[in-house]
Amino acid sequence: MAGSDDRKDDVRDEFLAEAQEIVESLSRDLLVLDQGQKEGHPDPDLVNEVFRGVHTLKGIAGMFGYHQVGAVAHALEDLLDDLRLGRVELTQDVLDVLFEGVENFQRLLGEAKGAGESADVDLSDYAQSIERVSAGGGRKETSLESYDLDPGVLAVLTEYEEHRLRTNVEQGVPLFRLVVRLSLASIDTALESLKTRAKPLAEIITYLPSMGESDGDAIDLEVLFASRASAERLEEVLGGDGARVEPVPRKDGHATVPPPERATVTSAPPAPTVAHVVAPPRPPPVPKTSAPPPISHDEPEDDEEAEIGGDQLSVRSVTNTVRVDIRKLDHLMNVVGELAIVRSAVARITDRIRARPELRQLALELHRVNRGFERHLGELQDGILDVRMVPLRQVFDRLARVVRQVAREHEKEIRLAVTGAETEVDKLIVEELSDPLMHIIRNAIDHGVEKPKVRELAGKPSTGTLALNAYQKGNHVVIEVEDDGAGMSEDKLFETAVRRGVVTEDSRADMTRQEIFNLIFQPGFTTRSSITDISGRGMGMDVVKTNINRLGGIVDVQSEHGIGTKLTITLPVTLAIIRALVVEVSGRVFCIPLTAVQEALLLDARAIRTVEGREVLTLRGGTLPLCRLSSLFALAPRRERPSKRYVVVTSLGQKRVGFVVDGLQGQQDIVIKALGRSLSRVRGFAGATDLGDQRVALVVDAPALMEEVLGGADRVLTAGEVS
Amino acid sequence: MSDEIVRAKTVLPAAVAHQVGSAEPEIVYEVLAFVIAQERYALPLASVREILKVPSITEVPRAPRDVLGIISVRGRIITVVDLRRRLRMAEAAIDKGARVLLVDDGRELLGLLVDRVLSVYRLRQDEVELAAVMGGDTADYVTGIGRPKASKGTRDAEARTQEEMLILLDPGPLLRR
Repeated sequence: MAGSDDRKDDVRDEFLAEAQEIVESLSRDLLVLDQGQKEGHPDPDLVNEVFRGVHTLKGIAGMFGYHQVGAVAHALEDLLDDLRLGRVELTQDVLDVLFEGVENFQRLLGEAKGAGESADVDLSDYAQSIERVSAGGGRKETSLESYDLDPGVLAVLTEYEEHRLRTNVEQGVPLFRLVVRLSLASIDTALESLKTRAKPLAEIITYLPSMGESDGDAIDLEVLFASRASAERLEEVLGGDGARVEPVPRKDGHATVPPPERATVTSAPPAPTVAHVVAPPRPPPVPKTSAPPPISHDEPEDDEEAEIGGDQLSVRSVTNTVRVDIRKLDHLMNVVGELAIVRSAVARITDRIRARPELRQLALELHRVNRGFERHLGELQDGILDVRMVPLRQVFDRLARVVRQVAREHEKEIRLAVTGAETEVDKLIVEELSDPLMHIIRNAIDHGVEKPKVRELAGKPSTGTLALNAYQKGNHVVIEVEDDGAGMSEDKLFETAVRRGVVTEDSRADMTRQEIFNLIFQPGFTTRSSITDISGRGMGMDVVKTNINRLGGIVDVQSEHGIGTKLTITLPVTLAIIRALVVEVSGRVFCIPLTAVQEALLLDARAIRTVEGREVLTLRGGTLPLCRLSSLFALAPRRERPSKRYVVVTSLGQKRVGFVVDGLQGQQDIVIKALGRSLSRVRGFAGATDLGDQRVALVVDAPALMEEVLGGADRVLTAGEVS
Repeated sequence: MSDEIVRAKTVLPAAVAHQVGSAEPEIVYEVLAFVIAQERYALPLASVREILKVPSITEVPRAPRDVLGIISVRGRIITVVDLRRRLRMAEAAIDKGARVLLVDDGRELLGLLVDRVLSVYRLRQDEVELAAVMGGDTADYVTGIGRPKASKGTRDAEARTQEEMLILLDPGPLLRR
């Protein structure tokens, strides 16, 4: 009974995971397609790619009984087929419908995940939208008359090929022919290599065997392609080895970009049986039976074209990956932590055995074994950490959809430029980042980027740019969200803050420009009086900041009025295990995450100055505010005052604070464990860790403490102490 | 691991243990008794998970005053509360007999520092005086008073010789602050 239920769950999970992957890649492809459409040359391969994805989704949904998913996929598949063949033109409206399809899939999959059954979602409106755009009609048929193409060639083109040919002609892309002799033995690889070389320069429309003088071993292939590159360049890339590139002449005498030289078109007789043999991109029927598409009944007739240059449709993605619940990894990490304690216990026993002369040899062996254990343990730990890392792309893709949607809602033109999507961070961080980033981006579009008219008046390009950059910087990952919008005005910002009661009027004099900008992170601050449905929804910037702080990160804002705004988020790479600096303060041991530490130096008491009751140090030309951890934590000294003290310089983003400690005990990898619920209200600690030797040390929450210090909360405490 | 571990074994389900109106004078309360500042207290045995020798406790700055600090029990960080401080009694140094009881208050596993652990008592209905009966200004964490009669229900030699009184504590209100 329970067993069959489990299996049902497993099957469902498998379906959901695979469907999710397909939907995510659909979303990615659509975004690129959207960009292409805006620039006027959508990549036809991508339309094929999306078509294939939807087709597979339809297949697996049918197999697992998710009929609603299947129905949406089916309707979309028809639309995509029309797009592929040029029966429907790819417009922003069509893209809207396609994106809505992705949303619908997400929703249906979400429901399926929750309810266990595919719950009923009303999709009749959506079906109507699909119908509406499908009926929108295609582009006008362009005449191919202007080119001197052999009617024999035109006759054998498939509908898809013909559509591509027309599209290229319509866009004024010159046509070329390439005649190449390929050995029958190696025709597959030779064609593949030709396609790879051609891809960046040209679009291959069709291949046909040519009726030239052919012997038994080789065949002349005529390749028809479109390209904007010069004939010389094409000759260079594709020519050689007897292959000739020549432009297809135009009848009307208009010069195509490279001046055409008159040449006659070799006639290519329609020979469908041969064409199948020599055109390997159309998959031979044999492999299809070994991996049959999930549903064979209602496939479009010209299904083969869908597979040009792509992978086989398949029910199962043949990958070597497993999906693992992150909690299982957490558990493994805990076990590793325990093993580390076992290791140090063994080391202690080894030392005791070594003290006995007659057992020295044994101690030596034990020591060696333990070293090996330690090394493997390290590898295990690294391995687990590595498994937890995922590329930021996961969250960036989702954001790209938000950008498009919000921009359309607000009639703003926005180009999203993403860099560093491959940067890896801990899975948990990626999950937690989604909401804050989404809010920042909505905010940037809503408040930052101006409407096209306004931008033009300001002498900016009408399309705004939103840059999403990620990169690793030491132990941190930095994510920047930058817009080239209106920027923030210091004065306006301050006024609003006063009106909202966030600051008082007279505090202006004490505030730096940066501090004024940072007011946006104060609770209760919103710049616009009217709450729009975008930024006004959900969280404020204060919540964004809190969420990011909780991940051990900080967020900073820079802005130039009229030029743009940049938010910078700095995060640790992982939360599970971190390297920490172990320090001593008043006889207690604390860990400071190394991600926050810039450097540690010996404190020269004579170099300390006092500025407005705060101790500071001049470090490399900059002023470093100091904070004595013993005072901040109100620790009674347990031993004599140490003769030497150290400063641990912490930095996050633009901020720096030097924490004064009594001793440095070195670095150590630690697993941070949460403090119990009864201590949840204690601020300043990220958790605690077992240092081995039954020593438990608190791990300071560096960002929180820095904020406290820079916020001036410690001033009273430090002012009293004499250095 | 030389920790003295006493695993709590619930003889009666909690629901039965609190069935006050039970007709026969059966065992209704199974408690672990301990001493703090010469006074005898007891907690329901079912709420006590472990008894530990006092490990080294890491002090937590900024924590509430009655929190002694944190310890690690098999990889888990546990907050240790000083019952003397929580019950507003004079502080004293931790001596050899002191133990940390790991107690589940329903939300969190907490450590309680006590001066000395006595033993497990099985109290019958007629040996328990409920706080509701006592009236007056009893604290919310006191369930009642146990007066174990020198009988077969007790094992401790010390307990058998003298008539004694146990203050029965309710871990929920005692620890949730």
